[in-house]
Amino acid sequence: MADVVRLPGLFEQIWLVAGLRWRILRNNMKNKNRVWDVIGVVISSVVGIVFVAGIAMLVFVGTVAFLNDRHEARFGLLFWGFFLWWQVLPIFVAGFSPSFSFRSLLRFPLKFSAFYSIGIAYGLADSAALASLVWLVTMIVATMITRISVVPVMILASALFVAVNVTLERLIGSWLEKILAKRKAREIFLALFVLFIVGVQFIGPAVQKYGKSPRPDLAKIIRYARPSPPSLAGEMIAGAAAGDSATAGIGAAGLAGFAALLGGLLFFRYRDQFRGEELSETVAPARAAAKSVASVREVAGPELRLLPVTVAAVLGKEFRYLFRNGFVATALLFPPLLVLLFSMQFGGAHPTTKRAISPDLFFPGMMAYLTLILMAPSFNSFAYEGRGMQTYFMLPVRFRDILMAKNLVTLAILTGEIAFCIALLKWRVGLPPSPVFFATICALIFAVTGQLTIANWSSLKFPKKMEFGKMQGNRQSGMAVLVAFGSQLVFATTCGLVLFVGRIGSNPWLPMEIFLCLAAAAVAGYIAALDPLTKLAEEKKESILDALMK
Amino acid sequence: MSDAAILTEQLTRKFGELTAVDRVDLRVTAGQFFGFLGPNGAGKSTTIKMLTGLLTPTAGRMQLLGIDFSRHPIDIKRQIGVVPEGMGLFERLTGAEYLTFVGRMYGLDKSTTKQRCEELLDFMQLADRPKTMIADYSHGMQKKLALAAAVIHGPRILFLDEPFEGVDALAAGALKALLARMTERGATIFLTSHVLEIVERLCSHVAIIDKGKLVAQGSLEELRAGVPSAEGRTTTLEEIFLSIVGQGGAERPNVEELSWLM
Repeated sequence: MADVVRLPGLFEQIWLVAGLRWRILRNNMKNKNRVWDVIGVVISSVVGIVFVAGIAMLVFVGTVAFLNDRHEARFGLLFWGFFLWWQVLPIFVAGFSPSFSFRSLLRFPLKFSAFYSIGIAYGLADSAALASLVWLVTMIVATMITRISVVPVMILASALFVAVNVTLERLIGSWLEKILAKRKAREIFLALFVLFIVGVQFIGPAVQKYGKSPRPDLAKIIRYARPSPPSLAGEMIAGAAAGDSATAGIGAAGLAGFAALLGGLLFFRYRDQFRGEELSETVAPARAAAKSVASVREVAGPELRLLPVTVAAVLGKEFRYLFRNGFVATALLFPPLLVLLFSMQFGGAHPTTKRAISPDLFFPGMMAYLTLILMAPSFNSFAYEGRGMQTYFMLPVRFRDILMAKNLVTLAILTGEIAFCIALLKWRVGLPPSPVFFATICALIFAVTGQLTIANWSSLKFPKKMEFGKMQGNRQSGMAVLVAFGSQLVFATTCGLVLFVGRIGSNPWLPMEIFLCLAAAAVAGYIAALDPLTKLAEEKKESILDALMK
Repeated sequence: MSDAAILTEQLTRKFGELTAVDRVDLRVTAGQFFGFLGPNGAGKSTTIKMLTGLLTPTAGRMQLLGIDFSRHPIDIKRQIGVVPEGMGLFERLTGAEYLTFVGRMYGLDKSTTKQRCEELLDFMQLADRPKTMIADYSHGMQKKLALAAAVIHGPRILFLDEPFEGVDALAAGALKALLARMTERGATIFLTSHVLEIVERLCSHVAIIDKGKLVAQGSLEELRAGVPSAEGRTTTLEEIFLSIVGQGGAERPNVEELSWLM
């Protein structure tokens, strides 16, 4: 018999787990390399508190106003706000990487009831839940001050609403955990999220264009949402305030029904976890080896005779990595989407002056912006190599070949994207006069080649690991971002000045001639920098491997 | 001197105040199956990293196959294969893609790369999952793939850092056979392992490093000769190791202190 005198009680277990999480957080902060993380946490905490307090004030004012003006039906809107906040925020916060998994507690002698209760307790300790609880309490306090007779119903409605939300959030969370355990699902989720964020940018222009027409449809949707938990909570309060006990009763019964249903579904979900659910997707060791000659033939890829073998090999690997990285691959859609977005917003008429922006300003501006976003990953180009970075240093290859291959991939992407965007711009806004068009193209050659040299240096000097299909904690190297920003500022200013000279001078082709000279200098500089960069890679290999293989 | 595949003189590596490898003089003859042993944190992996170009020594000299590493690293890297700690795999490639990439980087032509890639995947029992990415391989499968990548170009020296860790018994048998054949054909194998039985069975020569210093080096027989044994019984490598590193067990934790444990 093991020396276990007694099992810790439920609250003791919750307290132990809370202590564990606190120690993990504190030890992470103690790491001397995490100073910026600490500052980030402090700033985000202050911002979070200010945000929650600000919303709480609005909730207080709103509650008082609804009760005084006899607009109790509008409480449904407040509950809808809390509901969306409570359910949607945790998905975006936790959806991209596994956070502290309380499932790992299953190795300890835990009863199912304790497991279930700890799960619910964690749901209530979630930041979205805590904020919602603060707002609900604010609502109750405001009701106490304004109309005491509604307080019991308000407390009951809030309690039922909390029960529904916490069980639903836990249910969604546990399903997400199961779905996102698969790498592919995680990457698709991230890509969809990025597309969603981009799609949101189009709401403004769309509303401007289509104006008031969607409003009747929106009203219909709201009517259909009446049997939902937030609407039921609102009706419960409105009914009680109006003395309509039937409506209040229906609201309460509906909410209680939802809480029971979701609690039951969560019971079954947690029971599966409690019994030991395997989420790992690692394959089992091969048993029967079946030859796959075709697969090896497929991966060889086309022969790139113009390039050295090593450069071609790295190039092939880079393209494979590019299209397997959901986030980066999705980012390839941004340039044309941004061209569409900006041409919708500014292409026709300027929002303030109502005058059209001419293509000879819009075209270089758009090209500069596209270069800015497409070049950004090059400043930390080894971010996704992970442990594979060791291979580069083990192989008999000069580092210049690896840098060149990576730069060729960037150039290929830039060429393809910019060609497509030029076609889009011709359709949406029109192209500028030939001197401006060709000057811009030469400026691109100058800026891109010049930036690639700096980007190579930055990648070796300030590497930072990033992971596929992960957003949380996947921050770019701070110094790489600064270097990128600084160099882009210098190149953009230089190009802007040269183009300005062309506008005020008598020779419209002068900017193109200047850019050609600058581009030649940038290409020469790029070639000259390859050997010193190879030397730098050798000198910095330990810190590079250390940073990328953590 | 000319038969030495690996030769180090006063090889030293410091990390700040800590001297991880302290003036190590190693000599490994060509064709030897050489075991490099030591307790956790003794400096084994640091030594392998220096010998394979993943880490720059703070001081000392290294020669591999008679070539000075600091002067001709690329020439040496062409002739060695490495399974490093952490394996160094590009996890978003499939096994076949990774082997093809490595083969091409070693300068093998396309058809040779293809043929060796097929044969190695087959030998390592990794051929039945052509579309599976390395990230989704088990630890043992990753180890086998790293070993396949290390031998695809037919290296003259093979450095293996814990090659059998996580590999199943069936595959381990095949790997041992492969390594034995390589040494028969003149390749030198330099391996670290915590499984002393494996080292004892495979290696003809052994070196032991402790706290960064080389404390023993020689053939198994030479090391056995330095350790007293019970009459009529051959001293095992574990006994040799413990007598050298643990001074006869003086540094071993005393299990009796955990009296409450069943």
